[in-house]
Amino acid sequence: MSQTKTLIDKQAVSINKKRRSQWLEVWRRLKKNKASMVGLFIISLLVFAAIFADFIAPEGFDDQDLYRRFIPPGSNHFLGTDHLGRDIFSRIIYGSRISLQVGFIAVGIAAVTGGTLGAIAGYYGGKLDNTIMRLMDILLAIPSILLAISIVAALGPGLVNVMIAVGIASIPSYARIVRASVLTIKDQEFIEAAKAIGANDFRIITKHILPNAMAPIIVQATLGVANAILSAAGLSFIGLGIQPPNPEWGAMLSAGRHYIRDYWHIATFPGLAIMLTIFSLNLFGDGLRDALDPRLKD
Amino acid sequence: MLKSKKIIILTIFLLIFSLVAVGCSNQTADAPTDSKPLIVAQRSDAVVLDPHANNDQASSRVMRQIYENLVNQNEKMELLPGLAESWEQLDELTYKFKLKQGVKFHNGEELTASDVAFTIKRALDSSHVAHIVEAINPNGIEVVDPYTIRIATTEPFAPLLAHLAHTATGILNEKAVTEAGDDYSQTPVGTGPYKLLNWVVGETVELVKFEEYHDEAKMPKIEKIIFKAISEDGNRTIELETGGIDIAYDIIGPDVDRITNAPDLNMVRDMNLSTTYVGFNVGKEPFDDIRVRQAINYVADMDLIVDAVYLGTGEPSKGPLGPNVWASNRNLQPYGHDVEKAKELMKEAGLENGFKTTIWTNQNQQRIDIAEILQNQLKQINIDAEVSVMEWGAYLTGTAAGEHDMFILGWVTVTGDPDYGLYPLFHSSTHGDGGNRTFYTNEQVNELLDLARVNADPAVREASYKEVQEIVRDEAPWIFTWTGEELTGIRNNVKGFQNHPAGHHKLWTVYFE
Repeated sequence: MSQTKTLIDKQAVSINKKRRSQWLEVWRRLKKNKASMVGLFIISLLVFAAIFADFIAPEGFDDQDLYRRFIPPGSNHFLGTDHLGRDIFSRIIYGSRISLQVGFIAVGIAAVTGGTLGAIAGYYGGKLDNTIMRLMDILLAIPSILLAISIVAALGPGLVNVMIAVGIASIPSYARIVRASVLTIKDQEFIEAAKAIGANDFRIITKHILPNAMAPIIVQATLGVANAILSAAGLSFIGLGIQPPNPEWGAMLSAGRHYIRDYWHIATFPGLAIMLTIFSLNLFGDGLRDALDPRLKD
Repeated sequence: MLKSKKIIILTIFLLIFSLVAVGCSNQTADAPTDSKPLIVAQRSDAVVLDPHANNDQASSRVMRQIYENLVNQNEKMELLPGLAESWEQLDELTYKFKLKQGVKFHNGEELTASDVAFTIKRALDSSHVAHIVEAINPNGIEVVDPYTIRIATTEPFAPLLAHLAHTATGILNEKAVTEAGDDYSQTPVGTGPYKLLNWVVGETVELVKFEEYHDEAKMPKIEKIIFKAISEDGNRTIELETGGIDIAYDIIGPDVDRITNAPDLNMVRDMNLSTTYVGFNVGKEPFDDIRVRQAINYVADMDLIVDAVYLGTGEPSKGPLGPNVWASNRNLQPYGHDVEKAKELMKEAGLENGFKTTIWTNQNQQRIDIAEILQNQLKQINIDAEVSVMEWGAYLTGTAAGEHDMFILGWVTVTGDPDYGLYPLFHSSTHGDGGNRTFYTNEQVNELLDLARVNADPAVREASYKEVQEIVRDEAPWIFTWTGEELTGIRNNVKGFQNHPAGHHKLWTVYFE
């Protein structure tokens, strides 16, 4: 009896060790991918800028001065001023707060809801699976940006509603991914073992299945943040997103586009900010996918 | 390393490719000059070509070329004979119109008084344009003979003739309307100098000269007109510069100088009949207090705002009516920018610590800019305003129901008569959907507006309207904001073009040089 216990303990230790070394392995492989490290670096910069915006930005995001409009980029205003005389650099810094907030929270909503639905569908199967997944198919049939537009139109614009709209619109992809992973895992022996020692369904799903299905969810979430930011910027561009004077990048781009032929900097820098963010999130996401894929082990 | 290099190269390639692809789109080859059509671009395509099916500027601009009215209004908003050669007022309710003979519709039918009667009765049944003809008594329309018609109003209505010049009262052919049924909007039949040739909904409307047009002097000089919808403001200017179009309507502020300075382009600028205003919901606290409204008027630096937002186009409004509207009061004293005075008034109102409020606007960049600047300036008297940009339908419903605090909206006095520019906006019978979205009520204003509406004496009317404008200025249900300007860009070889203050410019006078 005591012998078996020590054996199990030993095994647990080695599993723990193995798990830790598995993530270390992923990190080691990720580090080799220079492109994704560049992505990670830019994302870290953005997160840093978002957290310390109050200290980095030389001015507030709504410090208007109608007597200093359209100043080109230069020493006084690093990226110039916009059509209402606000410092564009400061607005972009503060804007990173909104974009990252929207990106992470929307993905959070989508991943949690979609993940739960997908896990339930995959684990229980049968009619429940059919019902949930057909509902997801219906959502998938509507282009996600169109779905987001209709949700925002119904709820009204604003930061929270944009997060909800973008989040809901991307639920189905998480549901699908999680369901697929659950299906492959649930028939494996360790799940059978867990069942045999009397673990309930909730425990099996949360403790045994989900941790093993994490890799694809993480990849999808990283790429999803990029999509969410882009959708939010799109919604703001057409006036359905964040309300003024909040410096949402898409809204800044939209407001600046009338002046683009005379004062290119007003629309260009928010556009570059969007591009850079999406680009680095995608680089990082791609790298992460490669690193997490066991078949690519070198 | 190799991989990231590849990614970078691929990205650059994609960027270049997308630039090239965007640049390539939609190049139209020039047609030979002799049969060259006149291409006119506006912000959106016509919604309908049936004057009773909608009331919007884009449609009116096309319909102005297709239909004609009993009465015409020239560029100075003077009333001139149109399809009616002459008219006389029989009593305070009734007008008699003598129609021009030998006028042909596009379907070959001849214009008779029964077409006029049919048109007005149909307009009265339309939910879109009934308000324009609502003064007319449906039982008072009497066809005397094929070329004579009597039109009576229920109550005396002084601005009737101006209303009969509105594009919504363009004369239709009874037979054509009945035959086409629900499809009439796609097959419009008028008496105008141009008739419809082809309509690609959402894109272009092609009109062709009507060979049997009744007025030799107004015979079109150009064979074909193409109305093109180009929604992006900057793109209309670019199309004009590259010669893709000949006339571009609604040029935006940032592009005005560019067109003025271009050697092969001309800017045609004229003050129009539109006004933009910031309204208060006076039915709601704290805006029911006149001192609060005045304080906001003092703290808002409207000259600066208009200059920043409209970049020197149009002018800061002095009152509710622009200078082109008859009886517009040009002696109103602007509030000016006086923060101390504003603070004083707020203190008197017991609100020196300010309050929280919202400014509603629709998705119009200029109005959003105004709201943002105003929001900033209101901080000086401790008012914490939130800007809410709303979808157009929700915006209209909300302001009609009185759910708003402050809001930004526009109004066009299309008829050029102050009745149209004041009655719906300040009379208490029009609260909400009728046009008075500030829910402003003043008995004296009501009386004056009612009096001026029924009185036939222009001097009495003028005096009443001027007084109304003074009261409105003092009681401040609005912050008078901006009087608009027709900004049309044309190519140098386009001659004979003139802006109409109502925005629907005549194109049959235009020719190429």
